[in-house]
Amino acid sequence: MKNIVLIFSALGLMLLSACTIEEQFDPNGPSVSGILTNAEPNELDLLVYGALSRMRTSWDNYVTSTGTIARELYLFNADPRNTEDLLGKDGRSLDNNTFYLTGPFASRYQTVKNCNLLLDALASAQGASEAELNGYRGFAKTIKALMFLQELMRLNDNGIRVDVADADNLGPFVAKGEAFAEIQSLLQEGFNDLQGADFHFDLGRGFAGFDTPASFAQFNRAIAARAAVYAGQYGDALGYLEDSFLDLGGDLMAGPEMVFSTASGDVLNPVFKPAGQSGDQIIVHNDLISDIRENDTRISKFRERVSATSQDGLNGTHEIALYENATSSIDIIRNEELVLIYAEANIQENNFGLAVDALNVIRNAYSLGDYTGDESRDALIDEMLYQRRYSFWAEGHRMFDLRRYGLLNADFLPIDREGDLVFNQFPIPLSENP
Amino acid sequence: MKYSTKLSLLLALLFTSVAATAQFTVTGNVSDSSGEPLIGVSIIVKGSTTGTVTDFNGDFSLNVGGESADLQFSYTGFASQTVNVTSGSSTINVVLEEDIANLEEVVVTGLASGIKRSNLANNVATISGQELTEVTTQQTVDGALYGKMTGVNIVSTSGAPGGGIAMRLRGVSSLTGNNQPLFIIDGVYISNVEIPNGLRFASGANAGNEENASNRIADLNPEDIESIEVLKGASAAAIYGTRANAGVVIITTKQGKAGKTKVRFEQDFGANTIQRYAGRRQYTADEVEAAFGADERKLFEEAQAAGEIFDYEKEIYGNTGFISDSRLSVSGGNDKTVFYFNTSYRDEEGIIENTGFDRFSMRLNVDHKITDKIRIGVNTNYINSFASRSFTGNENEGGLSYGYNLAFTRDWVNLFPDELGNYPFNPNAAGNPIFVRDNTLNEERNNRLISGANLEINLFQNDQTVVKVTGNAGLDFLFNETFVYVPETHQGQVGRQNGFIGAGRNKAFNYNYQSFLVVDHFTESNINFNTQVGVSYLNFDRNFVLNQATQLIPGQRSLDNAGAQEIIQTLGTEEEFGFVAQEQINFDDKIIGTLGIRFDKSSLNGDPNKYFAFPRASLAVNVANFDFWNVGAVSQFKLRAAYGETGSSAAFGSLFTSLVSTNIDGQVGVRAGGSLGDANLEPETSQELEFGADIGILDNKLNLGITYYIRDVENLLYQNSLPTSTGFVNESRRDLDLRNQGLEISLGLTPVRTESFTWNSNVNYWFNRSEVTRLGVPPFVPPGVAFGLGLGTFFVEQGQPITQFKGNGPEGPITIGDSEPDFQLGWFNQIKIGKNIDFNFLTHWKQGGDVLNLTRLLTDLGGVTPEEYSDLEGYIEDGSYFRLREVGLYYTLPKFTNAISRLRVGVSGRNLITLTDYSSYDPEVSTKGGSGLSNSIEVTPFPSSRQAYFHITAEF
Repeated sequence: MKNIVLIFSALGLMLLSACTIEEQFDPNGPSVSGILTNAEPNELDLLVYGALSRMRTSWDNYVTSTGTIARELYLFNADPRNTEDLLGKDGRSLDNNTFYLTGPFASRYQTVKNCNLLLDALASAQGASEAELNGYRGFAKTIKALMFLQELMRLNDNGIRVDVADADNLGPFVAKGEAFAEIQSLLQEGFNDLQGADFHFDLGRGFAGFDTPASFAQFNRAIAARAAVYAGQYGDALGYLEDSFLDLGGDLMAGPEMVFSTASGDVLNPVFKPAGQSGDQIIVHNDLISDIRENDTRISKFRERVSATSQDGLNGTHEIALYENATSSIDIIRNEELVLIYAEANIQENNFGLAVDALNVIRNAYSLGDYTGDESRDALIDEMLYQRRYSFWAEGHRMFDLRRYGLLNADFLPIDREGDLVFNQFPIPLSENP
Repeated sequence: MKYSTKLSLLLALLFTSVAATAQFTVTGNVSDSSGEPLIGVSIIVKGSTTGTVTDFNGDFSLNVGGESADLQFSYTGFASQTVNVTSGSSTINVVLEEDIANLEEVVVTGLASGIKRSNLANNVATISGQELTEVTTQQTVDGALYGKMTGVNIVSTSGAPGGGIAMRLRGVSSLTGNNQPLFIIDGVYISNVEIPNGLRFASGANAGNEENASNRIADLNPEDIESIEVLKGASAAAIYGTRANAGVVIITTKQGKAGKTKVRFEQDFGANTIQRYAGRRQYTADEVEAAFGADERKLFEEAQAAGEIFDYEKEIYGNTGFISDSRLSVSGGNDKTVFYFNTSYRDEEGIIENTGFDRFSMRLNVDHKITDKIRIGVNTNYINSFASRSFTGNENEGGLSYGYNLAFTRDWVNLFPDELGNYPFNPNAAGNPIFVRDNTLNEERNNRLISGANLEINLFQNDQTVVKVTGNAGLDFLFNETFVYVPETHQGQVGRQNGFIGAGRNKAFNYNYQSFLVVDHFTESNINFNTQVGVSYLNFDRNFVLNQATQLIPGQRSLDNAGAQEIIQTLGTEEEFGFVAQEQINFDDKIIGTLGIRFDKSSLNGDPNKYFAFPRASLAVNVANFDFWNVGAVSQFKLRAAYGETGSSAAFGSLFTSLVSTNIDGQVGVRAGGSLGDANLEPETSQELEFGADIGILDNKLNLGITYYIRDVENLLYQNSLPTSTGFVNESRRDLDLRNQGLEISLGLTPVRTESFTWNSNVNYWFNRSEVTRLGVPPFVPPGVAFGLGLGTFFVEQGQPITQFKGNGPEGPITIGDSEPDFQLGWFNQIKIGKNIDFNFLTHWKQGGDVLNLTRLLTDLGGVTPEEYSDLEGYIEDGSYFRLREVGLYYTLPKFTNAISRLRVGVSGRNLITLTDYSSYDPEVSTKGGSGLSNSIEVTPFPSSRQAYFHITAEF
């Protein structure tokens, strides 16, 4: 019996001995600090792909939030805020703590963060040539600028933060003008970096034709042109277009795209909605149907529903048919936009002839024939806005086009329900502690 | 051995006393009031360790030193008695009375020792297995506690059979971490995890906690339980250290008793029906036209003409679910070995077709004395449970959640399959609920083994001192398989995912051990010193793998018959080690003081090897036990105060700042965007002071317990929304202090106690108030607790309750409600008529406590809110209710054969009556699972059910 006591007591004492707990690491993901020290090109490439992947996130909210405010579409789903808040139902205001604002805002800044991590990691990167380092810089700055531009357009006079590299010391919200200047300067730096650079990474299918530093630089200039017209800097826009991939005689659809697939971990095109689907459908605002000109082939972007649909006092007869299927690509910017930027800038610079030529490129592409109207500034602006309205329907432009021309208001836009409001811009998210 | 012996000798020397010389023998018998002999009654010579137990016939014989002595007779469930014996006494017969006020029950206060309730300095709530299950059959252990003890708040995260219970002890103690208490069953730290099944990837729900998973306490068979003790706050739970911030629930399972082997068979049959329908709006053709347009009126009139106006709410929730619960137990043993065996099978169908829960459980508890000095016990429980929960709760356009889609479904649209078996698409919602009911699956199966071994060695014993070593080790292995299947023909799937399979393979393995040295020393002057020192270690490991397949091959339900697959894996390990020391001094049951400290370190802290100290101290004074006390009517008057500290480490992962893997077109990448970790995190600490009094009047026929507590959580760990322009979503912070304080009153009454009629009644009243006393950041909306200020959300603000709701006002957020109830009151009654009839019931009144009813937001939008609720302003509603929570009537048949020693039949019910103004299914609701702040928000839940049972019990 003594032995048993001895054995059990020994066991008990063994348990008494203290143990050392090992240092912890995250088993569920690579650490941020790891990629910032001595990263090799293969690791840096992962940040590039992460940025390309993340910039697609919440694009659906971006399109439906701005599109609803611009009365080009409704999102009929189970979240009432899509038809209440965004349309200012009964005097409601835009919420600074809700998905339609915070979703796109956060994912765009996460993409910015990826670019900033990439830029930071370059300092101690190993094994990359100087040309390759410049390739990363050119990429990161260009994408960063695009992300800033997308959020600046939504927040408008509220401005945006552009100095966000240090999470503990965020820069202030800078005014719209300063933000535009920062975007242009980032794009210019990126453009300079891309000269003579090498890409170690493969930008993939979405950037086919824009996947070398030289062709990516054309994409960079295209974004610069878009930013310039948004900022009302029309002369600059024309300058940027010269180095972009603008081609008045070329394929209007040419341009880099966000791609989607069913690969493991990838996502589907979030703006695509199956035909006839209810409960989660992008409904075309009825005005788009009544206002479209005869023969305009862009009617194919709208599919007539078997029966009209209604929700929350709103009605629609057509639904989105913009994308063929759930893996269809979404354009980031395409020649068609550059042609219309060219037209717009030339109208503003009073080169009406050049503007009409450009507008005719678009008109003829959609079976409308050459422009025969007034060659006055106002008439041409109306024509240009019509073309933009149907060329970029549900692509996140309409709200800003209207605002740029002072039309984002209840005088111009249809008010579908009594008491609805038209908003000009989004508030600063609550979590930014403005 | 050497070390322990030395230590015990040292301790013995400290309290040396003189041994007595003269001796005499006392013999006798112990029985209960009906004359039945009591087996195993403990008899101790007061002020010494000398003692014995009664044998099979209730007889005992004991050698006593000196000329006279006080013998203390104690037995579980009976009031203890002290009898003076002298050398002249011959045979003494003792009749023990039932312990109405449970003063004798031993409450486990330390990790290796207990204390009599009458000496306890804390308000520790205890529920016996009998109280747990005597009124009606319980679905789950945690759900069975509501209303039966003070300070416990329980909400149901799902009405689906198989659980989904969130338990809060004395208010909210954590924002992000676990607000659920620690569950320990027979010394094994068991997992109460809610395992998400990934249905959010089909339904569009925001996070795993919106999947309404059950919590795994559901696996325990309530029938196995001997008692449950709830240590509600730090003052009682300090000895559990860094895991005890939310309290500790200690479950002890049944053990056999020496004597005749008892066989007991119980069978319940019952039915689940919906507690309450929220209702549907009844439309006229004119109203349809006004609401939905002229086209819709036509459809309505056609449907009306064809007699096809449906009530889809009844169609979906109107099922009567059959319940069968069978239990067989065998227990018995001899003086060396006792055992308890139980096997049970519960099969329960829900109020929605194709939902249900079944649980097979088998338990064997064996306790064996190897020698007089060594006792070993092994408890093993195997469980195989299965749940089919279908789809409820929040979603985003998945077309799956019943309530969500019913809100948009119009009752004049025929959603039933046509003659070819094709289900029409729902023209007004993202899914057809009839299709979902008939064709989708959301199932889980759990295979679980919980086993613990405990050992007690009596190292040394003399008249004054006992030295024991105790050790126990346990494991909880859970293998959980989830399976979600949405066919490619579901309207939300067509054209995008084209069918969804989510198959989880989730493993959770917990093990823990502890080892203690306990020294009990009694002095001549009736002072008892109980000293314990020990260590405790635990290790929790989990590996959750969720496999998803989309782009399915029609009709196929295996992962590989699909065009696209994806895997999500979540790993986690937690490791903790602690030292404990505690000294308890009992001066003749008059003054009882306890001092203790625990040092813990944890892998969840920034420095995993840094120890944090959690002290405790308590004092109980039994005023009525002093000689000066001469108020005869008041037999117990105890004043008590207790202080303690506990901790809680941050949730796993809070230390790390990691990148998230992504994919674009097959190319893997990494991105920022998760939480910004803090590599230097320390645990939050909770300090609780509780004080109160226990009063027993008229032989404890009336018992009153009053407790007030103040609990401060300092440096509460929370996730704060970062400015998302940082590229991160949340960060871990700890600059928040929270105070909870409240009052708990329990009143036990025995208004009538005669041969033919006994009525015991227990009233529990309690409330809690919280206040954020320090906040280092501007007021904020905690991430993930609700759906933004636009719809109303919890809002953390200094000087305000942590449970307040805020919404958007004209100039910023305004307070719209508070989920904290004003008070709660449980009333438990046991009535015994004659020898054969038992009638028991439990009512529960919750006064106040707002609920954010977002179901109505959806039904308003869809136009199906019933007329009587269509004019309500806002979505905050008063969640007050009065409920007949449990009621049971049993009849014990007179003995008619020797083959059956007892035969009992009965009927019972659960939640049979609820009185409330709340407009939806049940004000006891949480759409965001059991963790954090989440409760009292309703988004189209699985409606709560009421249950009715028929019971039969036979003992052999």
